[in-house]
Amino acid sequence: MLIVPLGLSRGFRNGIYCARNLNRVLAPALPTAYATKRLISIKPDFSKFKLTPPPPGGVVGGVNDAYKPPEPNHFHGSYHWDYERITAVSLIPLTTIPLYTSLSGGVVHPLLDASLCVMLILHAHYGFMSCIIDYIPKRKFGLWHDMARYLLYGGSALAFYGVYELETNNNGIVDLIANLWGEDDSNVYMFGRN
Amino acid sequence: MNGLVKQRVAGGILRRGLATASQTPRLKTFKIYRWNPDKPAEKPRLQSFQVDLDDCGPMVLDALLKIKDQQDSSLTLRRSCREGICGSCAMNIGGRNTLACLCKIDQDHKKETKIYPLPHMYIIKDLVPDLTNFYQQYKSIQPYLQRSTFPADGKEVLQSVADRKKLDGLYECILCACCSTACPSYWWNQEQYLGPAVLMQAYRWLVDSRDQAGAIRKNMLQNSMSLYRCHTIMNCTRTCPKGLNPGLAIAEIKKAIATD
Repeated sequence: MLIVPLGLSRGFRNGIYCARNLNRVLAPALPTAYATKRLISIKPDFSKFKLTPPPPGGVVGGVNDAYKPPEPNHFHGSYHWDYERITAVSLIPLTTIPLYTSLSGGVVHPLLDASLCVMLILHAHYGFMSCIIDYIPKRKFGLWHDMARYLLYGGSALAFYGVYELETNNNGIVDLIANLWGEDDSNVYMFGRN
Repeated sequence: MNGLVKQRVAGGILRRGLATASQTPRLKTFKIYRWNPDKPAEKPRLQSFQVDLDDCGPMVLDALLKIKDQQDSSLTLRRSCREGICGSCAMNIGGRNTLACLCKIDQDHKKETKIYPLPHMYIIKDLVPDLTNFYQQYKSIQPYLQRSTFPADGKEVLQSVADRKKLDGLYECILCACCSTACPSYWWNQEQYLGPAVLMQAYRWLVDSRDQAGAIRKNMLQNSMSLYRCHTIMNCTRTCPKGLNPGLAIAEIKKAIATD
């Protein structure tokens, strides 16, 4: 019964597909399943670090199969896009108001300063996350994609701690940037030049 | 009398023919990407062909067919309608994705024209790219009307003039894949990102007032890869040989599902 669809299959791909099914059916009965991998081994398994090459011709499945999109997830889709826009738009007043205040000689409220820092970090975080998805896609890079993500999460967390330090033990980011112009830097040591 | 007219016409043709022959032919060099799957060890190369512009039609497709007919019959390309409605002859001409049949030859015969297949695609032979993945993606957006209810009288599903107007600028797409293959995001992630051409069709079925599967269609795009790899680079709109605007259609989808 299994041979009949093999013989009738129109395309080469169909033939392979049937042969694979055949293997799956017979696999438990074959001894090769035990020979390929040992139960205990001291040899480290580096296969998960390897990159996955794209399928031949970039085609998954048969030529008449539709592309299967990833599972729907609003946090990967529209919510993520919304957060990107919200952080981008909120940065407009959050940069112009402190700039005006600082230039006109005032002092920026620490809460405003902190929210500028937080939004700046979130905006950069979403931007970098987009880069990771673009250039280190999980499809190809597997584990490296996750590592890049965790590195970014770690970096953002460190940056948030920096904001905490800046707002509690210092005068905030607006003051820090203003000091680049205001402070006397004639004695600053910089790359071997005095 | 009749003989005199014949003589004059024949003389005129003869003179004009001679006048043309005495001119130097305007030979233009076309450098065409060649790769033969029968010789996979040979690297792809650019092959030069010279075509006399005075003895050739105005479009690049005319030159390509002239080369194929008269110089090298092994030159392989897709073409069908020769009037920009089938989308077969999409290729990269002079650095721009366009249809060879709609692209005029640059009449400056001292400059050479380079012709490549659509960029960043798997090549079958010479100027023929493998569009299987592109069609799989098109199939995945279910490009057909889906309804749960039908009019009680059993006649056609009607549409107002205003609703029909929403489809203008979308339905004209001939799926030549010029825009998708011009998109850097599609170059890097073409296995998962749908690309401008397919997304514009997704929008075409999303805004159709006769379609009732809008919620399902929107939900299919709710992931990081299918839609949101578009970063509004706008190469798609810039290159479209039909003058359509896939970038705008993608922006409209994003707007439509932003509050979903």
